[in-house]
Amino acid sequence: MNKNNVLSKFWGWINVAFMVAMILVMLLPYLHVLAKALNDGTDTMFGGITFYPRKLTFVNFSVLLNDASMIRAFFLSVARVILCTILGIIVQFSAAYALTRKDLPGCKQILLFLMIPMFFNGGIIPTYLLFVKVQLINNFWVYVLPGLCTFYNILIIKSYISASIPESIGESAVIDGANELIILFRIIFPLSLPVLATVALWVAVGNWNDWSTTLMYVTKEHLFTLQYKLMQLIKESERIQKLIQEAAISRDGAGAALSLKATPESLVSAQVIVTTIPIIIVYPFLQKYFIKGITLGAVKS
Amino acid sequence: MKMLNSTIIRIIHMKKQKGLGKLKKYVFLYILLLPSILLTLFFSYFPMPGLLVSFMDYDVFKGFNSPWIGLDNIKELFTMPMFLKATFNTLYISALNLAIAFPAPILFAILLNEIRGDLFKRFVQTVSYLPHFLSWIAVIGMAHSIYSTYGIVNDLRVSIGGEGTERIMFLADQALFVPNLIILNLWKTVGWNSVIYLAAIAGIDSALYEAASIDGAGKLKQCLCVTIPCIMPTAVILFILNIGNIFKDNFDLIYGLQNPFIDFETISTIVYKQGIAAGNYSMATAIGFVQGLIGFILVVLVNYFSKKVNDIALW
Repeated sequence: MNKNNVLSKFWGWINVAFMVAMILVMLLPYLHVLAKALNDGTDTMFGGITFYPRKLTFVNFSVLLNDASMIRAFFLSVARVILCTILGIIVQFSAAYALTRKDLPGCKQILLFLMIPMFFNGGIIPTYLLFVKVQLINNFWVYVLPGLCTFYNILIIKSYISASIPESIGESAVIDGANELIILFRIIFPLSLPVLATVALWVAVGNWNDWSTTLMYVTKEHLFTLQYKLMQLIKESERIQKLIQEAAISRDGAGAALSLKATPESLVSAQVIVTTIPIIIVYPFLQKYFIKGITLGAVKS
Repeated sequence: MKMLNSTIIRIIHMKKQKGLGKLKKYVFLYILLLPSILLTLFFSYFPMPGLLVSFMDYDVFKGFNSPWIGLDNIKELFTMPMFLKATFNTLYISALNLAIAFPAPILFAILLNEIRGDLFKRFVQTVSYLPHFLSWIAVIGMAHSIYSTYGIVNDLRVSIGGEGTERIMFLADQALFVPNLIILNLWKTVGWNSVIYLAAIAGIDSALYEAASIDGAGKLKQCLCVTIPCIMPTAVILFILNIGNIFKDNFDLIYGLQNPFIDFETISTIVYKQGIAAGNYSMATAIGFVQGLIGFILVVLVNYFSKKVNDIALW
C-alpha cells in the first residue's frame, strides 16, 4: 500500500512537470517572436535572442506602419469582421429560429436543402468560375457573402433554442397578444444570447484569420487583408527589402540608418504580432464562449 | 336559436381568423428562412453544375459551350505523375496525422484530468487553447522566427553541440518538410481538440470510479477500465469524421509552408496552382471532383461499418 502511494505521488509530479512543459511549449514561441519584433533587426541577426528584446526598439513596427497599404489592410480586415459577424448572426439566427418550429410546413425539406452542401459541393474551381461570372472576383463582398449562411452554426443555434427555450413561452406570449416579431425579438433573442455570442465569436475569429479567400479570389492590392499581407511578407523577401528601402527614403537621410536596422526577419516577427494582437487581447473573453460552443456541439451529437 | 346562430358565426369567425393568422405566421417564418435559402442556393448549389467542366475541354471564352470530352480528363488524371504524387502525399499526411495528432488530444485530456489543483488546471487549458485562435499563417510566421538560422532552435543546438554545430535552415529542407507540418499541426490543435474529450470525461459518473477503486483498481487500471471506455464513443465519431477527410488536406498550412526549396504538393495545392493560378480549369475541377467523390464514399462506408461493428454512427 505504502509503495503504491509513493508511486502515485511520483506519477503526480511527473504529470505536473509534463503540464509545465506543455505551458512552456505553447507560450515561449510567442514570447520569442515578441522579443524579436521589439529587438533591433541587425542585432537579431547575431542570434542569441531568447524571450526578451536585447536592444529595445520600435523601428520594426514603425516600418510596417509607414506602409499606407498596411493601415488600409488593417481597416479592411476590421470592416470585414464586423460586417460578417453582424450579417451572419442575423441570417443564421433567423433561419435557426424558423427551423425550431416543427409545425412549419416544409421544415424538413428546407433542413435537408441546407444540409446537403455540407457533404457534397461544387469545389474550388466551379465556385471560382461562378464568382468570375457574377463579378465577385476583386470585389469586397467576396469576403462577406459566401460565408454568411453556415449550416453548422444554424444547427448549433437551433439545437440551443429547442433545448433551452420551452415552446410554451412562445405560445403563452401569443395568448397575451404578442405577434411573431415581438416573440422573436423580445423573448427568443434575449434568451439565446449565450449561443449567439459563441457563434459570433466563431465567425469573427474565422474571418479575421482567413487569408486563402484573398489568395483565391482577390488580386487587387487595395482589397488585401492583414493576414494576406503577412503571407506575402513571409513568401516574398524582396518585397520586404523594398519596404525597408521605402521607409528609409521617406525618412530622409537621417532616418535611413535607423530604418536599415529593420530586417526581413524582424519585420515578419513584428507583422505576426500585429496580426495576432487583437486576438490575444480579446482571448480571455473568447475562450469562455468558444468552449461553451464546443460543448453545445458535443451535446448535439 | 339566436344563441346557436351567434355561436356558429363566432366559430366560423374564429376559424377564419385562425387560418389567416396561421398563414401570416408562416409567411413570417418563411421570410426568416429566405436569406439562408437564397445564399445556400447561390453559393452552394449554383457551383454544382460547374462540376461538368471536368468532362469538358474548358475554354474561358466559350464557357459552358466548350466541347465535351467525356471521361478523358479523369482518365488522364490517373496517368499524371503529379496527381498521383499529390494524392500519395495527401494520404501520407493524413495517415501521420491520424497516428499522431488524433490520439494526442485524448492522451492530453486524460493526463489533464489527473491534475489536482483547479487553478493550475485552468491555466494549462487557457494556455494550450491559445494557438487554436491564431491563423495558420501567423503560426507559420512564428515558425519562421524560431526556426531561422539565428533563431532560438538553432541557438539551442549550438549551445548544446558546441560552436562547430552547423545551423540548419529548417524550413528550407525538403526532408524536414513533413515533420514540420506534423509538428505545427500538433502544436496548433492538441489543446483545442482535447476540449471535447475533457467534456466527455467530465460527464462520466463518479460512481464508476468509486466502484472501481473499491474493487482495488489503481489509477492506471481506473483509467484503462473506466475513462477510456467512456470516451470511446466520442473518439469513434471523431475518427469516422477524420477518415472521411483523409483525401482532404490543410491548404493554409501546406501552401503557407511551401517555398522555392520545397517540392511537396498535395491535392489542394495542385487544384489551386493548376486551376486558379494557371487557368487549367478542366483538370483542376476533375481533381476536385474525384477528391470530393472519394471522400463522400469513404464517409458513407466508414459510417456503415461503424454502425455494424460498434453501433455508433453519424446518421
